[in-house]
Amino acid sequence: MKELAGRLTALDPDAGAAVRVIAYFDRLAESRAGLEALVRGAAVLAGCPARLVDAGRRVRVRVEPDGSRRDTDLPPDTRWPSESLTPDGAAALWLERSGAGPSVVDAVILERAAGAIRLVLDRTRGRAPVSPADDPALVETLLDPTAPERARLLAARRLGLDTADPATRARALASLDGPPRILSAHLGERPADTALPAGRLGVGPAVPVLDLPRSWAAARTALRFTAEGTARDPGPGVVHADDLGGISLLADLVVPGAEPPPDVHALERAVADTPWMLVTLHAVAATASLRAAAAEVNVHHSTLQDRLTHAESLLGWPVRTPQGRLRLQLSLAVRKLAQETG
Amino acid sequence: MTLPPPPFDPELAAALEVVAETLPSSFGLDGIAERRQGLAFLDTSDEQLSRDGLFEVEDRAVPGPQGAPGISLLICRPAGSVGGRPVIYHTHGGGMIVGNNRLGVDMALDWARELDAVVVSVEYRLAPEHPHPAPVEDVYAGLLWTAEHADEIGGDPERIVIAGASAGGGLTAALALLTRDRGGPRPLGQMLMCPMLDDRNDTPSAHQMAGLGVWDQKSNETGWTALLGDRRGGPDVSPYAAPARAEDLSGLPPAFLDVGSAETFRDETTAYASRIWQAGGVAELHVWPGGFHGYDGFAPQAALSQATVAARLAWLRRLVGE
Repeated sequence: MKELAGRLTALDPDAGAAVRVIAYFDRLAESRAGLEALVRGAAVLAGCPARLVDAGRRVRVRVEPDGSRRDTDLPPDTRWPSESLTPDGAAALWLERSGAGPSVVDAVILERAAGAIRLVLDRTRGRAPVSPADDPALVETLLDPTAPERARLLAARRLGLDTADPATRARALASLDGPPRILSAHLGERPADTALPAGRLGVGPAVPVLDLPRSWAAARTALRFTAEGTARDPGPGVVHADDLGGISLLADLVVPGAEPPPDVHALERAVADTPWMLVTLHAVAATASLRAAAAEVNVHHSTLQDRLTHAESLLGWPVRTPQGRLRLQLSLAVRKLAQETG
Repeated sequence: MTLPPPPFDPELAAALEVVAETLPSSFGLDGIAERRQGLAFLDTSDEQLSRDGLFEVEDRAVPGPQGAPGISLLICRPAGSVGGRPVIYHTHGGGMIVGNNRLGVDMALDWARELDAVVVSVEYRLAPEHPHPAPVEDVYAGLLWTAEHADEIGGDPERIVIAGASAGGGLTAALALLTRDRGGPRPLGQMLMCPMLDDRNDTPSAHQMAGLGVWDQKSNETGWTALLGDRRGGPDVSPYAAPARAEDLSGLPPAFLDVGSAETFRDETTAYASRIWQAGGVAELHVWPGGFHGYDGFAPQAALSQATVAARLAWLRRLVGE
């Protein structure tokens, strides 16, 4: 191979050299060679040290062109030719060749070696990241009420939940744009905000492990009550199913995209009338007093009174009586549930 | 029954993929010229042998066997050595039919660098132009000269290790028998690397590996036929031609034998080691899994080659006792 490496370099950029490189790595991959053998192949064929760095998976292999393994903690020189192993470039194969730019053969070596290395890493170290909490297959199994109990318990154990302890509780989290998550829980305690992922989130109730499909259903319902928290869509970004109580029953009655009831039509007409309408009505529905509502939307108390008089004329019902306020709250909730998003 | 061959080691399989075109597994007598040509790229210059002045390199013409032409010894001495150093007496490989005394000497120089030893590599006449006993008699003549002139070349006559790979391993084993039987110089040890020992060419490994690797059953038959002609495989083949034919393997210097599990010579090598033990002798045997014939030379960077080379050096260190 010493001779071979010499001859390959001499042949550069002869296509014959590239063909031999391809044959070499194909054969290594075929016989399921390990990482060191692949990095060694790159070093020997390129005639310079080669190194593989994958910090995420704690892989560090460096081989000299004579085939000896010599790892190092020093960072690779960014000017060396390299091939990324992951889309973010955090893991890569490097040829420690300074000076002249990479040759055609270098490029072929990097491409073929990296391709084979990716397969070995996936086979032997699992796909990054390795945290089981992010393993979608385990989470899905645990949340699937039709999956056999045994499979769900196994998935729970692999996710780090103590299934032997009957006091173990967990909750499901439904997020608007991420995969489902499982959070281990203590009965009667709310999860800390820092334990929750960012973004709009429905938080399911804490339940025994095998009841997680129920927690998941409740979390998804809670997610429908969340809002962007903007003037166009005022409301909380995180909703706990535990806080909804009977209000969650509304979710079953309102099908997203279906024809809304007359009160919601009236609400839509009012909202379309002036830019401040929606935030003002939301403040009235969501705070303890009109004074607090005025502070929430940052207007004087008398201005709020004027606005509500105008709103009541558009809606056709009072919002400052207990019954009218409930009707407003229901209308706002139904309007939210009727939207396709949540 | 065709036996499935053991798989090649992954790295070696890949290397074989790229050397295969210069070294086909099988060739007949008509392929000898081509085979000689194919190895020409391995030729080493004096400058390469000297390793930047580490060794003094010399080609010395010395007397051959009685009534035969003189032979040539390649002598590499550590520069500035005070003398009395171990000597590695090297016999090259090449199936009895190809190669010269520079083939494979790189490996002996690697040991010499570690052990501060002298390397002597013998040029012997090749078959089929020169059938048995020409090759082994040349090798014996070279050993005689080396033992008698050890002081002159900075060597210790009591510490001559004879070594060779492939056909060179076979000739080295034959040399150990010959010098025992003739009362010639007694080597300190014999290193038989993937040795070619048995002209019968009929072991399970020979059948198993037909058409695979770089030296299969057909090539092996070509080599033995070149050396022995019609006598190959017959009843009256000399043990000095094919050491596996020796009935007595006692009284030999300590042996080191190694071989790949995926090659023609696997079974004759392991059998030879067993017979040395059965005769009360000393032998160390390594069978490296998935190694093809001569893999450590073709793919020295491979992990298996590195382990192979390390085992040989460790044996030599213990043997020379320093």
